[in-house]
Amino acid sequence: MLLVPCPHCGPRNSADMSYQGEASSRPDPSSTTPTEWREYLYMKHNPAGWLRENWYCSSGCRRFFTVERHTVTSEFREPPLPGSKTPRPTGDGADPARGAP
Amino acid sequence: MADQPQFRSSVTNPVATPAGAPALTDESSLTKVSVRARVGASPLGVDFTRTDRRDGVLIAGIRPDEWLLLGAGAGVEALLAGTEFDGSVNRIDVTHSRLCLRLSGVCSASALEKVCSLDFDDTMFPDGATGSASVAKVSSDLIRDDQDGEPSYLILADRSFGQYLYDAIHDTTTEFSSAWPSS
Repeated sequence: MLLVPCPHCGPRNSADMSYQGEASSRPDPSSTTPTEWREYLYMKHNPAGWLRENWYCSSGCRRFFTVERHTVTSEFREPPLPGSKTPRPTGDGADPARGAP
Repeated sequence: MADQPQFRSSVTNPVATPAGAPALTDESSLTKVSVRARVGASPLGVDFTRTDRRDGVLIAGIRPDEWLLLGAGAGVEALLAGTEFDGSVNRIDVTHSRLCLRLSGVCSASALEKVCSLDFDDTMFPDGATGSASVAKVSSDLIRDDQDGEPSYLILADRSFGQYLYDAIHDTTTEFSSAWPSS
């Protein structure tokens, strides 16, 4: 069982949540190339390490939120605030540029 | 909210509570009004996860941007009429779309914990607390509203789950009965 830290409801069983996938920046559809758009839609990074993820608290507060999860240990932590200077630790093979806030 | 059709509960086959077991009653006929506002706003002065009772109307902060009013129709209407809302606040009567069950009794928390992952200990979920979680796999809102000094929980879910949720919760209460099994 994963204990997912919802910012509103507190730690909750992942069965009460809905996984929304990696958190990445959506390119502007009016100016992006088909290659960039395809990469955004289908090419997931899937690192063995820290990954920013979106979750939906479907049985609780019914809000979306972003957390970081270690894909090997399933440990959770809050993502750094947007614009934060704190470097984001990455796992083996993780690309620091992808999904950076 | 003026003219409402006659209320028909979705719990069509209520069962008698066994002696000594937590009592499960259908309170779906209570008037229920959902009030929604921006996150951080507090149009009714009640915080998320907390409740308040005013003139017989229970006000529950069930989500960061949603409050539920439960009570007799006239009381709820009077409360809404006496409260000043700005233009961004939505009020929707959900009486006919929401099921409301009440589970009361000394062992009601133990019974509820069989089908819900929330911690119903007094320190975590005291009288006046609210929460939302899966109850018997149905997304539900839970409100602790003690009555006569005994723990009591309101369970609200979509109306279509009425009889299923009633049966699932009733099943959890039977082991706390003091009656002998019939066979």
